[in-house]
Amino acid sequence: MDCETLITYLSDYIDNNLDEDLAAEAEEHLRTCHNCRVVLDSTQQAILLYRTQGKQRIPMQRRSRLFRQLEEALAGQDCE
Amino acid sequence: MTDEQALIAALRRRDKNALAEIFDRYSDRIYRLALSVLSDEQAADGVVQDTFMTLIERIDTFEGRSRLGTWLYRVAYNNALSRLRSLKPQLDLDGFDEDDVPIPANLVDWQTTPEELLGSAEAMAEVSRAVETLNPALRAVFLLRDVEELSTQETADALGISPGAVKVRLHRARLALREALAGYFSERLGM
Ligand SMILES: [Zn+2]
Repeated sequence: MDCETLITYLSDYIDNNLDEDLAAEAEEHLRTCHNCRVVLDSTQQAILLYRTQGKQRIPMQRRSRLFRQLEEALAGQDCE
Repeated sequence: MTDEQALIAALRRRDKNALAEIFDRYSDRIYRLALSVLSDEQAADGVVQDTFMTLIERIDTFEGRSRLGTWLYRVAYNNALSRLRSLKPQLDLDGFDEDDVPIPANLVDWQTTPEELLGSAEAMAEVSRAVETLNPALRAVFLLRDVEELSTQETADALGISPGAVKVRLHRARLALREALAGYFSERLGM
């Protein structure tokens, strides 16, 4: 496997989505190619950082306001 | 009867607790999806509001063919996209070539980055800034797969796109974020 092919399969490799033969070829390439190893490690790191950063929640005050409006809508439906 | 079917049945009886439970489970997820598409907190609140209003209005005819979470995501994503089109009519949501594989250019090894920089507010702001530059259609996939940790199929169902499109978009998004962060960390570390 060459570098370009490895990069093409990188996401599938990270997600364990490659069939056995391809996964073995990717492993073999990664053992010998420093650049692709760096790309793999840094991509995994980037995913972890995004997972941490991306978990925002609705701030409490706005969340309560949103829920109150929905509660009213639900109650309003009752009277129809 | 599953717990989800029980919740839906209770909501049909206009049970407030069922609404509270469903809202607790899904509101933050819907908010994050809306924010990933719109990059605007107020507009994202509007998507949450519209999505749950749609649920309340349609609960009597909700068929339960898809899971509730998938259904809510679908409604929310379409709502967010239509808001985006009216906010930014010039934006091309298919404005990325799905066949073009980005080639990693910055090969600096930032594995040695100290923990305190990796987890710093500055680094997190950089992640956010880098994700922001992606096309909204890529951001939605990236969020559902790598933050919410949905499967490829679940993401495809939630967004109404093919599993193949999910994979291509995720691949592009990951490599783009990697490239941006490699640039940031190598500069920060003076490498
Ligand atoms: Zn290589």
